[in-house]
Amino acid sequence: MTTYPRPYVSPRPDLRAGPGSHPPAPPPAVPRRGAGGRRLLIVLFLGGLVASVLPWWLDTPAGSLTGSTAMTTAAGQITGLVAGYLLLVQVLMMSRLPVLERWAGGERIARWHRDVAATLLVAVLAHAALILVGYAGLEGRSLLGQAGVMLREYQDMVSAFAAAGLLVLVGLVSVRAVRRVLPYELWHATHLAAYAVLLLGFAHQFSNGSQLFRPGPARTGWIALYVLVAAAWLWGRLVVPLRFNLRHRLRVADVVTESPDAVSLYLTGSGLDRLELLGGQFFRWRFLTRGCWWQSHPFSVSAAANDRWLRLTVKVVGRHTQDLRNLDPGVRVWAVGPSGTCTAAHRTRERALLIAAGSGITPLRAMLEELPPGAALIYRARTPADVLLQEELDWLARNRGLRVWYVVGSRNDPGPRQVMTPDGLRQLVPDVARRDVYLCGPPGLVEQYRRVLRQAGVRRRQIHLATFEL
Amino acid sequence: MRRALLAITGLAASTTALVVFKAAPGTGQPAQEAPTAAEGPAPAARPEEATPRASTSPKPTRSAPRASRSASSGAPKTPAASRTGPAAAQPTASTVVGPVVSNEFGDVQVRITVVGDQIVNAAALQLPRRTAQSDQRSDQVDSRYSGAVGMVVERQGADLDTVSGATATSDSYRRSLQAAIDQTR
Repeated sequence: MTTYPRPYVSPRPDLRAGPGSHPPAPPPAVPRRGAGGRRLLIVLFLGGLVASVLPWWLDTPAGSLTGSTAMTTAAGQITGLVAGYLLLVQVLMMSRLPVLERWAGGERIARWHRDVAATLLVAVLAHAALILVGYAGLEGRSLLGQAGVMLREYQDMVSAFAAAGLLVLVGLVSVRAVRRVLPYELWHATHLAAYAVLLLGFAHQFSNGSQLFRPGPARTGWIALYVLVAAAWLWGRLVVPLRFNLRHRLRVADVVTESPDAVSLYLTGSGLDRLELLGGQFFRWRFLTRGCWWQSHPFSVSAAANDRWLRLTVKVVGRHTQDLRNLDPGVRVWAVGPSGTCTAAHRTRERALLIAAGSGITPLRAMLEELPPGAALIYRARTPADVLLQEELDWLARNRGLRVWYVVGSRNDPGPRQVMTPDGLRQLVPDVARRDVYLCGPPGLVEQYRRVLRQAGVRRRQIHLATFEL
Repeated sequence: MRRALLAITGLAASTTALVVFKAAPGTGQPAQEAPTAAEGPAPAARPEEATPRASTSPKPTRSAPRASRSASSGAPKTPAASRTGPAAAQPTASTVVGPVVSNEFGDVQVRITVVGDQIVNAAALQLPRRTAQSDQRSDQVDSRYSGAVGMVVERQGADLDTVSGATATSDSYRRSLQAAIDQTR
């Protein structure tokens, strides 16, 4: 394969060490992080869910729900409380609070966000429908008549109906099939409108919510919840990034071509030795130059943390990544992160198998230096030119006891087909079932591999995916 | 997505379970009784009355035409009888209870306390409380009109300003009040 000129060699002294010289002792693997934090988050979530329905439970004397109208209204109240709580949880999950990133990780939180979103949508629609039917029954009106009365006579109901409508819209554009055909910007803009749901839906909870309109512990607690979530959001979205960027002041140092369609960006800054970055994590980057500053994109860091530079390796696929190729040294960079739990610290076993496809190598490359010795890497690429960072991988293979297989070819070639089967995997890595497996690549391939790995006897919690849908 | 389906099913199931649990008077009681046990030292004979909210609400037999509504009148907020308290301390006081006046939101019934020919207190025995909205408006009406320093005592009659947004309830209140005043003469 062709090698490309590397004009900026100086920040990579470990590569210049080469095969002949004596390699420095490899740094120890990073310590493991347990699943304790994640479990605590789930317990907190369930506790909050119970607490949010508790006001209704205490307010409703047993035996008081006689007749279907009263039951319908009660169900509407419950779903309303649940929906209000879930909406706050949704915003909290998007607050990028460091503790959430550390305990659960961006990818997992994005998955939770999706699941909770579907539940929230159903809860809101159920709430609206049940309350409408219930109140219509109580006041002896038709459904349409009751909706009209609610909109005209009840406080804050116009905004509440608007909030529900917006939520349905956000839900619609987030359905996978719809989202795929929409431009990212449209999806993103409607998602920003979800904050309006929070504002529009706020007032009617306190003016009409049977459990919340009276001053008392329930109302106070509910308001406190809002204040807490707002504070968490401000902290995670504003304070933390501001502090990070003021401390590190990242700038582009160099742009290096890695392959015909991939570039590495080297960034320098101050205080990089204090950066708490794990290999495999990503930042959301904003390059403060004309045409780029308004976009923020997640890219993985493609080398382990060191005290002089950061590197991200980017596949050029669109307008934005095309622009990155032409960045000038000195351009300021605004970074938010690090996030992600596809790291050596989240391993459950002492040995690892990494499966990368295409540019999915970048986060895994950064992890390699932090894994205990004995790791194995399967690198899928369509053509030899698609193999990125090969020099470094070979060097790591020699110096950190890493086994590397480059599996090059199209999906139907015998080599790639073989590593796509449980038996083929076991031939390469006989103890695959006793390893952590890290997967990074195009979503379709990752999903396929996940299935193959499960067939090969790898347990679910040993499989770490670095696909993030944001 | 599979988890989302589970969550939605869970939501539906647990909402139904909660409602059904509350609908059945016998079964839900012990679980609910535990935290509120401190409320009263004497264990109530009838469990329904031991819960804090459903306290001693007088439910006179009503001539209200909408009997079907009474099915839901056991809902959380029954009129608080405690509001009627203080003025009864006057030795020469007498209380007069007005008739139940119904409107489309529920029933209104007013009780006044009279000393000589002075109204010294007024209280609502019943107000529409079926939805949060009407509950809230009833509270507004109640706080404006009732009490020893309310508008009824101030004006010494049923010529009261309508509480905005609660016209029907204000009106019913005035009618029940007027009937009660008429009885004293």
